[in-house]
Amino acid sequence: MTKQQANWSPYDNNGGSCVAIAGADYCVIAADTRLSTGYNILTRDYSKICKLADKAVMASSGFQADVKALQKVLSARHLTYQHQHNKQMSCPAMAQLLSNTLYFKRFFPYYAFNVLGGLDSEGKGCVFTYDAVGSYERVGYSAQGSGSTLITPFLDNQLKSPSPLLLPAQDSSTPLSEAEAIDLVKTVFASATERDIYTGDKLEIVVLNADGLRREYMDLRKD
Amino acid sequence: MKLDTSGLQTTAPMFGPRMEALEGFAAAPSFEIPNSSDFDGFQKDAIQMVKPAKGTTTLAFIFKEGVMVAADSRASMGGYISSQSVKKIIEINPYMLGTMAGGAADCQFWHRNLGVKCRRHELANKRRISVAGASKLLANILYSYRGMGLSVGTMIAGWDETGPGLYYVDSEGGRLKGTRFSVGSGSPYAYGVLDNGYRYDLSVEEAAELARRAIYHATFRDGASGGVASVYYVGPNGWKKLSGDDVGELHYNYYPVTPTTVDQEMTEVTAA
Amino acid sequence: MSTSAIDVPPKGGFSFDLCRRNDMLAKKGLKSPSYLKTGTTIVGLIFQDGVILGADTRATEGPIVADKNCEKIHYMAPNIYCCGAGTAADTEAVTDMVSSQLQLHRYHTGRESRVVTALTLLKKHLFGYQGYVSAALVLGGVDVTGPHLHTIYPHGSTDTLPFATMGSGSLAAMSVFESKYKEGLTRDEGIRLVTEAICSGIFNDLGSGSNVDVCVITKGQKDYLRNHLLPNPRTYVSSKGYSFPKKTEVLLTKIMPLKDKVEIIEKGDAMEE
Repeated sequence: MTKQQANWSPYDNNGGSCVAIAGADYCVIAADTRLSTGYNILTRDYSKICKLADKAVMASSGFQADVKALQKVLSARHLTYQHQHNKQMSCPAMAQLLSNTLYFKRFFPYYAFNVLGGLDSEGKGCVFTYDAVGSYERVGYSAQGSGSTLITPFLDNQLKSPSPLLLPAQDSSTPLSEAEAIDLVKTVFASATERDIYTGDKLEIVVLNADGLRREYMDLRKD
Repeated sequence: MKLDTSGLQTTAPMFGPRMEALEGFAAAPSFEIPNSSDFDGFQKDAIQMVKPAKGTTTLAFIFKEGVMVAADSRASMGGYISSQSVKKIIEINPYMLGTMAGGAADCQFWHRNLGVKCRRHELANKRRISVAGASKLLANILYSYRGMGLSVGTMIAGWDETGPGLYYVDSEGGRLKGTRFSVGSGSPYAYGVLDNGYRYDLSVEEAAELARRAIYHATFRDGASGGVASVYYVGPNGWKKLSGDDVGELHYNYYPVTPTTVDQEMTEVTAA
Repeated sequence: MSTSAIDVPPKGGFSFDLCRRNDMLAKKGLKSPSYLKTGTTIVGLIFQDGVILGADTRATEGPIVADKNCEKIHYMAPNIYCCGAGTAADTEAVTDMVSSQLQLHRYHTGRESRVVTALTLLKKHLFGYQGYVSAALVLGGVDVTGPHLHTIYPHGSTDTLPFATMGSGSLAAMSVFESKYKEGLTRDEGIRLVTEAICSGIFNDLGSGSNVDVCVITKGQKDYLRNHLLPNPRTYVSSKGYSFPKKTEVLLTKIMPLKDKVEIIEKGDAMEE
């Protein structure tokens, strides 16, 4: 083993925010497209959203190199899955694969903060939220990345969904319509961009529903 | 001819051969270790960067009818509450539950792994694994990773051929058999209620109420615990979730608002 | 004769004991409170009949924007203004202090303040504090000797330049100046160039943002163009708006009159012994 320098630091933070909202029959996944390091903008047009399967889309912020490596591992695993099972992976299956993939690097983590959105086997919207080493849970909505502390409280206030742990159980997906959810996502990103220096430039929104996948874009502040 | 005996191994090798081409594809878990001379220092920095979710109250106790397991549902990173809906009671199989305290990912992953091992034991031996056996599988894994920064404090509760079973297992390698445990930052508060109200001959309803009360009081005093108090019961026919209550709502059950004596009626203030 | 056992160095000058103590505490793991830093773009240039100063209006605290429209061009004297970058409290305090010294000096002499006077006062203060007062300044003004533009670094060194930039966006702004500045610019050309330089900082440096402030100083006249350009309006406003329906619940509408806990005695006897 070669001797490393004392200040060996393999990580960088490239910033950015991700949000996902699950509805009764749709899922909205959104992220800004700014990639930055320190006080510099590396590019204003980098997609943080990755389509992993027909009904599973991941948005990631954190360290771009780790995110890219993670996306490639998942894509490759999904390819072998398709060869072995002759079908697309479901969103909950992809959720657990993502968890395991993250945990296998428990001692050298991917510096990536992910939200996975998609449709489950019943066609209901689902959102899974993660920490960097793979703990995950299914939720109604989630925000990750540099603007998450600005976005999460607003989403909590607007669509506080009943906890899935409650007994008798209550449905945890949000009561919004698809158009309302998109409107809400645009609002939270416009607001986060006002106060978070790492969020901005452009918003990419992916909408998953029974008709398939649709992409939308909206301009954000560029300063 | 060379026989492939890898399927017989109970635990995966800790540092398997590095198969660069199969990175992440190996069937057995193989963990990548950073190529750094200062592994401990790196771990410390890496853990600071990813901030494992911490702060918990979990408890479990054996009584006449079986085992009662309860937990809160909050995850916090420092002062920030990262989730109010964590499933801290993990359903390993229909007869066994695990609780989660410490690193959320560590607990979740190794309980999932334990679930697989328990199922394989069933298929190989045509009988369910004992709670003692299952907890020992977990303890052995955690012991093999001792000192590498795993953070797990768990209770394995279940029903096997010998009746109810309860073990405490942690990432330092400890494994204790017992009838009453509480783990996490809120455990001192939970113990206070639990020890005060515990009797062996509690009914299921009484035991559930005791567990719920203990979790509620822990969330009341411990800022890192909160959310939903879930209560599970494990009996001869497997586990059953008895209740899940928002602790905010429970507060009004345990501290009902009493009408206060009124000395003077408030009058409408005219806008100045 | 000295009575002390060891020689004590003579008193005087600045004491940096607290700086050394703070370094020691920081090494031992003490987290000192964060300051409001103006990760900033500030610029200035000399044009045909005076000086133009420019600044962005973003103030940050780590990754969070603390003020979207703050003022970074500070008043020094009627004919002198100063842009500040660095710790907001330091730039504000040091410019306020020097501007009052200049005012007193004007009362004393009855003459207009000179830019070099402000420069000397500022650099003396900053040098005395050896960089612990973290203020990076662009000082500009027009006095009896003509237009002047200076930059002052936190340690007290100064430059005299025809065009200058400071702050985290200084490189972005300087690239504009270096490619387009020439001597004898007109007022409009000068304002346009300053605005372009600030915009370059606003868009390419994450520490700078929001709007452009400009200050034009000419002989006997100044124009403070607050929010000269607003290039960053909010990009989306929901058509339906958002409501926060759940108000704080009113649990009680009764009031209890205060009970008399102390007996009030007319004469001050109780206090006297």
